[in-house]
Amino acid sequence: MTDNHNNRINPRRPFKGTASGLNRIVLTTAPRLNEAPHAKPIRNSQKNNAEQASILVISHSDRGMLDDHARQTVSAAAILANEATNITVVALILGDLRENIASCGADKVIVMPEFSFEKFQPDLELANITAVIERLNPIKILMPDNFIGDGDLGRRLIASQHTKTAATHVIEIDSLHAASPHAAGRKIAFTELPHIILLAADAADTNLPFIGSATIQPTIQSSTQVENTNNQQKSVSPYQNLGLKTIASEQVALEEADLIVSAGNGVSNVETFERLALALDAAIGASRVAVDDGKFSRDKQIGASGKTVTASTYIAIGISGAVQHLQGIKDCRHVIAINRDNSAPIVKRADLSIIGDAEAIMQALINAVAEAKSLSLQEAACACYLLLR
Amino acid sequence: MCMLSIATLVSAGLHPVSGEPRHCRNDSLAMTLGLQLAESIGAEIKVLHAGDENNPALPNYLALNAKKIDVISVASGANIVDSLATNLANTELILTGTRAEDGEDSGLLPYLLAAKLNIPLVANALAIKPIENGIEILQFLPKGKRRSVTVKLPAVVVVHPLAPIELRFAFAQQVSGQIVAHTAQNQSKTSSSKQIQWQIQAAINKPKKLKAQENKSGHERMLAYIASENKGGAVVNEGSSVEKAQVILSYLREHHLINF
Repeated sequence: MTDNHNNRINPRRPFKGTASGLNRIVLTTAPRLNEAPHAKPIRNSQKNNAEQASILVISHSDRGMLDDHARQTVSAAAILANEATNITVVALILGDLRENIASCGADKVIVMPEFSFEKFQPDLELANITAVIERLNPIKILMPDNFIGDGDLGRRLIASQHTKTAATHVIEIDSLHAASPHAAGRKIAFTELPHIILLAADAADTNLPFIGSATIQPTIQSSTQVENTNNQQKSVSPYQNLGLKTIASEQVALEEADLIVSAGNGVSNVETFERLALALDAAIGASRVAVDDGKFSRDKQIGASGKTVTASTYIAIGISGAVQHLQGIKDCRHVIAINRDNSAPIVKRADLSIIGDAEAIMQALINAVAEAKSLSLQEAACACYLLLR
Repeated sequence: MCMLSIATLVSAGLHPVSGEPRHCRNDSLAMTLGLQLAESIGAEIKVLHAGDENNPALPNYLALNAKKIDVISVASGANIVDSLATNLANTELILTGTRAEDGEDSGLLPYLLAAKLNIPLVANALAIKPIENGIEILQFLPKGKRRSVTVKLPAVVVVHPLAPIELRFAFAQQVSGQIVAHTAQNQSKTSSSKQIQWQIQAAINKPKKLKAQENKSGHERMLAYIASENKGGAVVNEGSSVEKAQVILSYLREHHLINF
């Protein structure tokens, strides 16, 4: 009762006089907003016996983090597990993991850092995930259907597990059924929830009312298996990895680029901007205003009437962030804004906003990047020298 | 390089707008890649289709320079993996597209075929180069990355839809080409693996997103609404431009977005 009383909004809270009248929407106590994430309870916390049934999620990590698609898959598993009782969500992460994935609802986490998506070793990966599956005997297996190796690995798993039902490209899922597109999306096919599910992007919401406990499981057993299979299969494996190469950022299509610097009306000197892009090895984008001004070609335009980009880093320089532009960057993971106006809409979207003059900050950033690059080169040279000694 | 035997698998596709039968784009990319490879090293190539030889989509592949298409007559609904596997037992390189356009298009066929024949498989291929004792494949990875791998033959290679291949359509080739029907030797009505019952409907509604059930009070919902309105990351107002540049650099470093 008292709690409820405390939560009530003061009807006489301070107001702002605006042109359209009094604005009382602003809450007086800001800390209350920050409390919300802590309030989420841990799902499944009291039942902790070893004999629990489990849903297994298998995914590669990207630079130590799960991408949106993988997070959606873990969340989907958590939502399915929450509807039934006494089911744990086990996340098997291939590649290293540097973040806590409790917020996606994972109860147990198994990390196999030796299987980065950058290496191609499908036979070893399949052998190891099969070993984990045999140990856990999960009631369902979920994987994201993506191009960084999970779609491929999942199909290998389906082909190797003859007795289990499976569905790929699953665009709709609930506790009873799954649906995949049929005939190139003209039709939709429903089925009872199969055993192995390759989930398409955006099929589940990552916003959960609970968190998982995300306890890291020891991987001693699995890593010894890896070594064993490594020794056995080194000579037998039909695959050989010749290495990864990254296409120069100028040649990559904007939709595919990983790091984009984008210029808006606030960029007066395009030359500095292009030097910054070169220094960071980033692809160049632009807002509609900058393109209309003739500073950039039309194919660089990002936004509703231009391109939709999925970069993991998006640096918006001198862009206020009109709704149409924000639509184009909705899938970007990290947005950094450099802007003169701290009330611009892009500041609400950005993970980091720098308020100041774009030209001066760009110059300073070019210098800082050059310095950092030369330092890391020196360090590498030092390490080489020490190794040789 | 010894004489290589290549087979490319083609399926019947549908036009994305009109729904008219035509070649499947992914499979034609794989076929054209196979034809180019066969021409460059003088290999023998077979274009294979499992299904009905009178399918109006097949002449499209002839127009795309398949001189001859071998059709394994399989009744609709029968399992084609077994009949394909018996036909492809001695083939060294099998090329397929990533996904079909008509039917289940799960992208599973090459995997089931590779598992049946017990040979390696490489997916997402953009280019193929023959090397000593195998082939070298350039693989597609997202975010502007590419990977080179080698694989020993025999192998199944799945060609990625973004493979840089130009399709050339010529009506004269469609007229001069031929389609030859063969009866399937190993036709089994029962599929060897999982039976899954699909209920197919027209895709009218947008797929529903899986969401967690929340029972929040009205007040909590209003708070959540206001909180989501107020979201935004760190804002740096103070400091010189050099300090601000350092903030950006340390943010990029902290999240492992740059490697220097």
